[in-house]
Amino acid sequence: MTFIIPVGPQHPSLKEPEFFRFEVKGEEVVDVDIRLGYAHRGIEEALARRNYQHGVYLAERICGICNVVHSTTYCQTVEQLAGVDPPERAKYIRAIIMELERIHSHMLWLGVAAHQMGFDTLFMLAWRDREHVLDLRELISGGRIHSATNTVGGVRRDIKQEQIPKIIERLRIVEGRARAYVDLWKSDRTIMARCSNVGVLRKDDALKFSAVGPVARASGVNADVRRDDTYGAYGDLSFSIPVERAGDVWARGMVRLMEIIESVGIIRQALERMPSGPVRHPFDLKIPPNEAVERTEAPRGELLYYARSNGTEMPERVRIRTPTYGTFASLRPMFCGATIAEIPVVLWSIDPCFGCNDRVTLVNSDTGEVRVVTLGELGRRRK
Amino acid sequence: MIDVAWFLAAVLVFPGLLFSSLVGLLYLGVDRKVTGRLQNRIGPPVWQEFIDFGKLMGKEDITPAPAQSSLFTAAPLLALGASVAAVLLIPVGSAQPALSTTADLIILIYLLNLPAVFLMLGGYASGSPFGTSGAIRYIVQLMGYELVFILAIAAFAARTGTLQLAGIVEYQARHGWLLFDWRIIPAAAAMFMAVQGKILRVPFDIPEAESEIVHGPLTEYSGPKLAIWRLSYGIETVAVAGLVASVLFGGPTPYTVGGLVLPPVLDFIIKTFLIVMLTTLIRNIMARLRIDQSLKFYWTLPTLLAALSLVLGMVVP
Amino acid sequence: MPKILPTVIKNLFRRPFTVKYPKVRREVPEGYRGKPVINREKCIRCWMCIRACPDRAISINKETRTPMIWLGRCTYCGECAEACPTRAIRMTREYEFLDQYVR
Repeated sequence: MTFIIPVGPQHPSLKEPEFFRFEVKGEEVVDVDIRLGYAHRGIEEALARRNYQHGVYLAERICGICNVVHSTTYCQTVEQLAGVDPPERAKYIRAIIMELERIHSHMLWLGVAAHQMGFDTLFMLAWRDREHVLDLRELISGGRIHSATNTVGGVRRDIKQEQIPKIIERLRIVEGRARAYVDLWKSDRTIMARCSNVGVLRKDDALKFSAVGPVARASGVNADVRRDDTYGAYGDLSFSIPVERAGDVWARGMVRLMEIIESVGIIRQALERMPSGPVRHPFDLKIPPNEAVERTEAPRGELLYYARSNGTEMPERVRIRTPTYGTFASLRPMFCGATIAEIPVVLWSIDPCFGCNDRVTLVNSDTGEVRVVTLGELGRRRK
Repeated sequence: MIDVAWFLAAVLVFPGLLFSSLVGLLYLGVDRKVTGRLQNRIGPPVWQEFIDFGKLMGKEDITPAPAQSSLFTAAPLLALGASVAAVLLIPVGSAQPALSTTADLIILIYLLNLPAVFLMLGGYASGSPFGTSGAIRYIVQLMGYELVFILAIAAFAARTGTLQLAGIVEYQARHGWLLFDWRIIPAAAAMFMAVQGKILRVPFDIPEAESEIVHGPLTEYSGPKLAIWRLSYGIETVAVAGLVASVLFGGPTPYTVGGLVLPPVLDFIIKTFLIVMLTTLIRNIMARLRIDQSLKFYWTLPTLLAALSLVLGMVVP
Repeated sequence: MPKILPTVIKNLFRRPFTVKYPKVRREVPEGYRGKPVINREKCIRCWMCIRACPDRAISINKETRTPMIWLGRCTYCGECAEACPTRAIRMTREYEFLDQYVR
């Protein structure tokens, strides 16, 4: 006799509303059904009604955790449409702020993952250390979460020389704490009891269901847009990509923690090598008809923006494919044989950002039929 | 006449409802404060549980429509009654508890089980899938820690030769604390692990796992009923800590410090406070286990330890 | 022995990381984008701020013919301050306010 446990739209383990319908028999999960679209706000349509400069601010507000990478990708796409290359110093500043965002996003992930496991102490400590990163963002850009530094043609604010020692000092603290968390993740027996062999995603499943980002890297897929399809200043910076093979929740945590340490290294390199010069090029908002696609590595995976211009100040169409949209489908194999206790842990391990997702449920307005996009349509073959 | 008045005073004031609720809610408040400090933050004030109790009592009393309202309402009150009855059997003010029979320990085992049973019944009666889930988990976990608890109590009884708590306290007054008896040390360790499960603390707070099943059996409770649940939880904590203090730490003993005789109740408060602080420390350094892992854990290591102590207590004079 | 135990015990003796807001307030750094203020004397009525605002939060104050920012819509991005040629709009460091409009 199975009964239904509704996880969502409101549930303590979900930070944003989505509906997961779990059928459980006792403690074991038998089936899971997903209904998305609770956070749909019509952003792509809104972007087509604002000029490119205003669109940056809207793109930034698609997601609270990964806002800089959205605005950066949007700016890169528009710059590609117009054929304008931002100055070198702007590219480095963008890289610094994006890596700061990666660190803050992964520390947020660590805290909430600990909370899902019942380890409240680690939650509080991880979020305490995240405050250092937020203070840095406040110092550099004037806002803790929404930095509003990106603009089409470059960045709006420069990093002043006297800010750099403070940045270095805080990075030192953050790196020390990240190493302590790596140590803890490897050695704590209760964390391993909750995370090892839980929500396993094999490598062929990861490729078949088009998982991206740390979820794919934890299953052995060595793919990172910063290295494979390099953009901005990443071509000049050297960094390594952590890859794990186990494919379980523990491996995903390990990948994210190692990425924090890598990001600190990237920021240090960028601060050293940053060339001097202007941070912003003038930009004519009227762009002749053109098409552009840009991919970046958000903290959650590969983020893709497509834009089409038509000669006016407003884009004709903007299409956003967020990383969580890609990793949703891989939830199905992860929940095979899972228990209720593992639901929040596995859900959070793909680092879902439901605010980023635009639409999955399609409604045929003529017949009123509701069609949920099937697994096959979400999947995308990747070699 | 005097007996009835004394009995009522024991049930309602000391060590019954008033004393144990004050002490219990205070312990819970200090537990939250210390948890905050361990996590490098300020933490709520120690009066927080009292404030919460007052606030909850002032809210509207709601019973959800699909719930079995008679059982839903009766469960917290019965749990409160069981907790208070358990406190009456524990030596608080002196070596002699308020109520005493030949087989205190066995009655205590049953009484301390009752709040758990009523929690499960309340969860089932609430009519929500989270309540049912929480109740199922509670049953499974009960089979784990209760076995350890009973074996440990049997080990203490075998060592001291008596099932009366007053008798155990007297034995420790003559021979020193049972905690330092080498035959009892494994059972003491097992007892602490069982206590962590009995008062539903991480790593064994699985029935009330917040991120998984909202609040487990207590999901649909709100307002005054939830206040009664919190109160009964506080009193149960005092009862369990008091039991551990009596069997392992010598129970309430009057100490003389510099010519001043400290009343035994002060000793009781200090000992139970330290036991609760130990559970607080343990709950802050670990993650929560899964239900099958918790059962597997309880049926291996602590059971062996408690059984070892039982055998040693019976065989070695 | 859990590795987090020494950290946790040490935390008992350290100063807490949190502060008792609002009795204690943290200072925000220079350049923080807080509440915008308008200096009416400097305004030359070019209305560049209205064009620059991404949210259409700025309108014209009917009595003084100077900009009026509706803080319910403002996202504190600072575009208006950047666009103003005379620096009549300035972003301050204030983050605690209950005003609805800035005139």
